[in-house]
Amino acid sequence: MAKKRPENQDPVDSPPAKPKKLAKRAASAVPWHPAWRWLVSILVVLHLTAVFVAPWDLSTDPALPPSYMAQNDSQGNPLPVPPRESSVWQQPVVPRSLRGFFHHYLNLAYLNHGYQFFAPDPAGSNLIRYQVWDSGGAELASGEFPNIDQQWPRLFYHRHMMLAAQTGEMGEQSGRLYAKHLIRRHEGKTGRVEWILHKLLSPQQVLDETPFDAPSTYLVLAEINETSAVALNSSSEELPIAIPGGGQ
Amino acid sequence: MGAFSDTRGYVVELGQAWNRFWFSPTDPATLCFIRVLAGAMLFYTHLVWSLDLQAFLGQEGWLPVSFIRDIQGHQWSVWSLFFKIEQPWMLWSVHIFALLVFFCLMLGLFSRTTAVLAFLLAVSYAHRVSPGAFFGLDKINCMFALYLMLGPCGACYSLDRIRRLRRGDTSPAAPSTSANVAIRLIQLHLCIIYLFSALAKMQGENWQAGSAVWWAVANYEYQSLDATWLAGWPVLVALATHLTIFWELFYCCLIWNRFLRPIMLWMAVATHVGIAMFMGMITFGLAMLFANFSFLQPATVRRWVDPLASRIAIKLTGSP
Repeated sequence: MAKKRPENQDPVDSPPAKPKKLAKRAASAVPWHPAWRWLVSILVVLHLTAVFVAPWDLSTDPALPPSYMAQNDSQGNPLPVPPRESSVWQQPVVPRSLRGFFHHYLNLAYLNHGYQFFAPDPAGSNLIRYQVWDSGGAELASGEFPNIDQQWPRLFYHRHMMLAAQTGEMGEQSGRLYAKHLIRRHEGKTGRVEWILHKLLSPQQVLDETPFDAPSTYLVLAEINETSAVALNSSSEELPIAIPGGGQ
Repeated sequence: MGAFSDTRGYVVELGQAWNRFWFSPTDPATLCFIRVLAGAMLFYTHLVWSLDLQAFLGQEGWLPVSFIRDIQGHQWSVWSLFFKIEQPWMLWSVHIFALLVFFCLMLGLFSRTTAVLAFLLAVSYAHRVSPGAFFGLDKINCMFALYLMLGPCGACYSLDRIRRLRRGDTSPAAPSTSANVAIRLIQLHLCIIYLFSALAKMQGENWQAGSAVWWAVANYEYQSLDATWLAGWPVLVALATHLTIFWELFYCCLIWNRFLRPIMLWMAVATHVGIAMFMGMITFGLAMLFANFSFLQPATVRRWVDPLASRIAIKLTGSP
């Protein structure tokens, strides 16, 4: 970084070489040298542009042209919409290009975020329910996370909540890794992890006194069985869902 | 000719306004106050990792480093010390060092150095758990650490200040241009956060319908203080939902108006204290409030903090 003039230096005590310039700068209440101000201004503009384009790009989606008509197959059934990378889709080129330009800077400074808190809509929570058994089939451990009774303080509980929630973005493999971790931690042989969506109750359901933890509010999205080395099976496909409170 | 001189006059005025906005020296009290709060938040946030450090940050934890790196695409710019650390003793050593750095930042000891280290460490933790266990708190923590590096964040309310007093330097913290740049960046970054948070919400059907606040407080896992009595008050839910969006959307404009600024800040208090109390996101709610404090005038901060800071300084230095 370039050396700059000490910012709090009193012009009266400065070397007498350029008293007029210093006096002028002091009068304008802007003490930095113009060259330094230009440099900082450019850096500030670049930085704020980077901070702006990250959420801008993440909030934009490609769109089909208004005149787009779905193609039909030989039997007259509509074909699925082409993938979003296809040239049919109109890409938001400006935010994509700008974010591409600032990509590494955004990564380096951990600025690559969408700030989509509780958006586009608040969603139900994800839970991970697990069991671990030894080689004889005896249960070594069982539980679920997040679990307010076991994870304290609240931030620790929240970390577990995010761990469960982000399963939705990372897919089934993350559930498999949780199972492996739990087997390792409890020195077990096999484990099962259930990825559960805890659905939200409507105001009417609450007024009707339906409990928030009623069994009907829990939906098993995936069940993953794992041994200490080899995966056995999985029953559901990956279901991407929003991270409650996590956003992008 | 008239149009040319008008345009020239406009550009000159614009330049002067730009210089005033960014480069007017300001009392660093606001930046230093934010350093204390953000340092405390960084310390607490990372202290909590200690409860299961190996599982969240170790090589073979809940999500192994190799898996995280695959998801991150092995990009060189997504970096973390924890990608390299394999031995548990090394992990704990780095962790304890990081806690010391965050603690020193909070106290204002070797502030400029600890601010740089705090940024590097905070990003290291955040990248290790993204994806995994990160959330908005990590984004705000890293934002604070980034901007605290830029200004004299230890000029007051700090052990650095106490050390200067003990050496006989009783001059008050001088106005600083870099403190102003740092504060301006926090302010503008916060405006961008709220703007895009609002734009994202506007795409949600429940935010449009005015029911989103209900679905947020009805989340059993988030619930802290019970707000489900709102089930019988749909109009109140709708008002809170719409108000949240409009407040976030127009924050970036209205916060700059000195008459509207107190209103916007009190709404920030209501929103984030509400999130903290009813949804249990105390740390995130507080971090967002701390970011809003960047809009406090240094004189206001001094009115609040100086009496306490003076008492502590007298105790530590033995002289008023």
